[in-house]
Amino acid sequence: MKKKINQTAVLAGILVIGVVASAIAGDALAQAAGQWRDANHVYSKICANCHEIGVGPVIKGRNLDPDYYQSVVRHGMRAMPAFRPTDVDDAMLKQVGEMLSKSPAPGGSK
Amino acid sequence: MPSKYIALPKGVSEKAFDAAIREYREILGEANVFTDADHLASYSKIMIPDSTDNHTPSAAICPASTEEVQRCVAVCNKYKVPVWPISTGRNLGYGSAAPGSRGQVVMDLRRMNKIIEVDPVLCTALVEPGVTFQQLYDYLQENKIPLWLSCPAPSSIAGPLGNAADRGVGYTPYGEHFMFSCGMEVVMPTGEVLKTGMGSLPNSNTAQVFKWGYGPYLDGIFTQSNYGIITKMGFWLMPAPPAFKPYVIRYPEETDIVDIVETLRPLRLAMIIPNAVVIVHALWELGSFLKRADHYTGTGSIPDSVVKDMVTKNKVGMWNVYCGLYGSPEQNEVNWNIIQNVVKASGKGELLTAEQVGDDPVFKYRADLMQGKMNTAEFGLYNWRGGGGSAWFAPVSQARGSETLKQMDMAKKILGKYGFDYVAEFIVGWRDMHHIVDLLYDRTDPAQLKAAHDCFDELLTAFSKEGYGTYRVNTAFMDKVADTYGPVKKEINRKIKRALDPNGIIAPGKSGIWN
Ligand SMILES: Cc1cc2nc3c(=O)[nH]c(=O)nc-3n(C[C@H](O)[C@H](O)[C@H](O)COP(=O)(O)OP(=O)(O)OC[C@H]3O[C@@H](n4cnc5c(N)ncnc54)[C@H](O)[C@@H]3O)c2cc1C
Repeated sequence: MKKKINQTAVLAGILVIGVVASAIAGDALAQAAGQWRDANHVYSKICANCHEIGVGPVIKGRNLDPDYYQSVVRHGMRAMPAFRPTDVDDAMLKQVGEMLSKSPAPGGSK
Repeated sequence: MPSKYIALPKGVSEKAFDAAIREYREILGEANVFTDADHLASYSKIMIPDSTDNHTPSAAICPASTEEVQRCVAVCNKYKVPVWPISTGRNLGYGSAAPGSRGQVVMDLRRMNKIIEVDPVLCTALVEPGVTFQQLYDYLQENKIPLWLSCPAPSSIAGPLGNAADRGVGYTPYGEHFMFSCGMEVVMPTGEVLKTGMGSLPNSNTAQVFKWGYGPYLDGIFTQSNYGIITKMGFWLMPAPPAFKPYVIRYPEETDIVDIVETLRPLRLAMIIPNAVVIVHALWELGSFLKRADHYTGTGSIPDSVVKDMVTKNKVGMWNVYCGLYGSPEQNEVNWNIIQNVVKASGKGELLTAEQVGDDPVFKYRADLMQGKMNTAEFGLYNWRGGGGSAWFAPVSQARGSETLKQMDMAKKILGKYGFDYVAEFIVGWRDMHHIVDLLYDRTDPAQLKAAHDCFDELLTAFSKEGYGTYRVNTAFMDKVADTYGPVKKEINRKIKRALDPNGIIAPGKSGIWN
């Protein structure tokens, strides 16, 4: 979750010098094709942004075909942008489709 | 014989293209060159009022390093294949990831996604094109580096390099993004690698801290242009302020835009209001969470009286001004008092803090954007009309009340002629405003698509006649906008293009620049 930054954090940050990115392997370094941890990671960093705040429809717990998810992701739909194979590759997209297809509805309803 | 490609680059034979594709595959591997319709669908989808056919790519090539970009550029020169570079490729409402014209190969730089360095002392970052704002945001959070980003409203899925390359804007004090960039690495059309500013000096450690270098300042010519492929860009990041206080000022009448601008300009110029403030029209404010059909089902643009009712019912302003205070609590208090007094003295406007607004998703998303937090709530705008059509009309205005009113009246009149709504905001620079109108239409309805195209065309014609230029435009109208800036500018752009890119292989037609 997003952290609040307070004055102590500002001061602490100033003491860190020249952080070079390659050493860290968390969320930050894994957000494109071939780098996602798993389907949930893709969902939480991309899909959820719109589909869990009421901008796009709920896509979990809908019993939709996994292929359908894949097709919508690649082609986009109306205002939903299309996502490219460099965003998420075919193999991971398949996993995302399968995960969503089997997922329970958020909050257990529907 | 039907082609095996969904489109071909202009003037390139299928045989020559076969050879080029073979060479791209040798450089990048099979998995990183796409020519099939299924994968290319994601490089073809557009929201702008133009036929998809005009923006269908022939292929997409996806290099993972500067060296691979150089080698691909050599192949492009050999076969005269044009490439349209994209970084994170979310130029939604300006052309998305699709090329400016049919048959160009998209060079997708999303695989180049290294955060090369973040310097928490000098507060700078150096990133590759495929880095998203979300990735950089997470990186800063994970490493507890107290620096803030400034991002456009699509935040998480867009990226700092592509956005700045098109001179996009955000909402923090660093909201004019190109202004806060510092140093580039560019692969030139000839394949050479140029480092701009201080970066061209061997062993220099000042590339991300001093913009100008020596001699002509070149960075600008690589933005909104086709003179090179940017493979790295430096940015200044904002130290997280000890305290942040977002607030909104609501105004009841459309004509209040005059007083708003006159009241706020001195505060903005004096940096008492330090950030890129937005003055949001009611239909943008409400359109981000309401559906048009629930409020109006008649023909033509939504009547003013209906908008007025919606404003009253939903307790928003006809204009809603979102600003922030950034500093120590003591500094913020001083500035808050100044702002309260100025608003009070103006006799108009209701000033509200986060606490007073309470649980309001629009206020929350605006507050997030003003502190560079990821939030894509603004996509809710597309549910207003539905159908996925969007074109940003983006004329620049002086920060002068009479001017903003004149532009609003002009835009409303022309939109009304075609049955579209005035869904708009002004993004406040120091002395200018980006007047951003989202021409929302149903792209699944051919009549609306045509009307949107014609409406956009008329907006451009009418505004440029009054001397109002647009700051950025979608790929269907690049030539038209280039013409509005006059023949001398156009010809000089072309001379530079010919000198740097004799084969015209990089993004032909970008910003109306052709060889
Ligand atoms: C709801 C919504 C709200 C929006 N709000 C904003 C906003 O607040 N501010 C704003 O600025 N935009 C906004 N946009 C428009 C757009 O989505 C953003 O500007 C976005 O950041 C652009 O996409 P990108 O960052 O992925 O850049 P890209 O799409 O990668 O790049 C944009 C263009 O720059 C050029 N380019 C990219 N990379 C290179 C390179 N390496 N070398 C040379 N040229 C290059 C290309 O011409 C490319 O088409 C909004 C869009 C939507 C849908």
